[in-house]
Amino acid sequence: MATVIIAALTLAASGCGDLSNDELNRGVESLSALAGQGQLVASGVARDATKATYARVMAKTLGEQADHEAEKLADATLEEAETGDQRRAAVAVAGEISSLLSELQTYPGDERHGALVQKHLEEAQEKADAIVAQLSGDAP
Amino acid sequence: MRTILKIALGIIAAIGGFLDIGDLVFTTQAGALYRYDLLWAVVLGVIGIAVYAEMSGRVAAVSGRPVFDVIRMRMGFGVGLLALVASTFVNLLTVAAELGGIAIVLELLFDALYSMFVIAGTLALVGIVALLPFGGIERFFGYGGLLLFVVVATVFHQDPNWGDVGRGFIPSLDSSTLYLYFVVGVFAAALMPYEVHFYSSGAIEEGWTEENLKENRLNAFLGYGIGGVLSVALIIASGYLFHPIGVEPNDLGTVALPMQGAFGETGLLLALGGMLFCVGGAAIDSSFAASYNLAQFLGWEWGRYKGPQKAPRFTASWLVFLLLGIAIAESGINPVEVTEYSVVFSVVALPLTYLPVLLIAGDRSFMDEYANGRIAGFLGWLYFAVILVLAVAAIPLLLATNGGGG
Repeated sequence: MATVIIAALTLAASGCGDLSNDELNRGVESLSALAGQGQLVASGVARDATKATYARVMAKTLGEQADHEAEKLADATLEEAETGDQRRAAVAVAGEISSLLSELQTYPGDERHGALVQKHLEEAQEKADAIVAQLSGDAP
Repeated sequence: MRTILKIALGIIAAIGGFLDIGDLVFTTQAGALYRYDLLWAVVLGVIGIAVYAEMSGRVAAVSGRPVFDVIRMRMGFGVGLLALVASTFVNLLTVAAELGGIAIVLELLFDALYSMFVIAGTLALVGIVALLPFGGIERFFGYGGLLLFVVVATVFHQDPNWGDVGRGFIPSLDSSTLYLYFVVGVFAAALMPYEVHFYSSGAIEEGWTEENLKENRLNAFLGYGIGGVLSVALIIASGYLFHPIGVEPNDLGTVALPMQGAFGETGLLLALGGMLFCVGGAAIDSSFAASYNLAQFLGWEWGRYKGPQKAPRFTASWLVFLLLGIAIAESGINPVEVTEYSVVFSVVALPLTYLPVLLIAGDRSFMDEYANGRIAGFLGWLYFAVILVLAVAAIPLLLATNGGGG
């Protein structure tokens, strides 16, 4: 019963249909947040300051979220067709974040990989932030 | 000396047992999104739970009646049944969320299947309850939860701008629905109904009388108060680390990241260990609370101290609630989402739990000299008014914010 109610409410709350500019913006912000979180996990690996199981499970969870975000962005129909470029760029960034996290998942005890992934995730976050700036009209 | 030691142990257990998965998730998310701006909501919630826990403990000690007994006695069968259905629904969601939380922490520590850990964690809880007496169960999880004081150490290590932190304790109301949703979430996470159901029934389990009223007051105000320090520390640690880089913590594992940042692997392990004890303790509290409510409403024999032979239906219902919790946790729903729903739905059930406690605790004909004084009465009604407002606002806010997704 509880499961059914939660599922119904989640469905009602999640909304269906076209992807508005705001929703696209939020999706890309989520990618930026995932990249930020991934950097913190990778930083622990790079500094040999974490537990490998923790880094592996966190990288896997965050990677799955990035994949899910990519699917949502790729599948939705855009309400404003002119944001198509940003959507394509966002899907690419999501794929980049996912593959970096997958690398972290494979080498959760390797400090060199950790440092590289951290650096690349930082770049991916910058790209996501740039897309957000374009969507909100703040880009230079 | 023995009395002082007993009181001190009770307070320590209350500190460690204060946090559950709802507090961990909502406070960390609140810090990440609003930095220190919601610290005041934690303080508001902690005073609220201390006021009502003290009242429910006092009623139990003086009258020998736990909260659900009081609800049925004061509000009658119909309203009592409504309260039972509402609180059982919320308690069941909470049990599922806590069992899922145990499995997530074990997965982070040992990297094996989540579904396996849901079952293994539950079996471990059943084993602990079977082996330890009631007081021992409380202390086991309460003391273990103290590992989370690593969060307080993390805050001092981070050395945030204390002026900004101080300003967070001044109440402010942002007009955004997401901010209001988090005010409700942080407040409700501190006042989950199972906490008073468990607290008052625990008073009966431990045989409290009027002589324990001092212990009750200290447990409620010092125990929950210092426990609230952990919630405050979680918001500060999260606000300091996550807010500037835009991290949105949607996983229980993220809660431990600030401690890893400050103290490396040791900090991470202390945080995960503390979370395991807190979430495990809350799984026991919420599943016991669900069984206490059912047994007290239906007039069954109840109590851990009576054992399965003398309270068979109580024991069986506790196992059934755990099984149902496993079923929900294994259904594939994210435990963090279940937590958010259970916390927000609990706000709707709060008035049904707290009004009878307030009425009985203030009734001189029932409580005699131990009835609410002016301060307890004023705070009780003030909080009840706040609870009513939040109960009306909770579900619309949940829907308007996509369950906190913005």
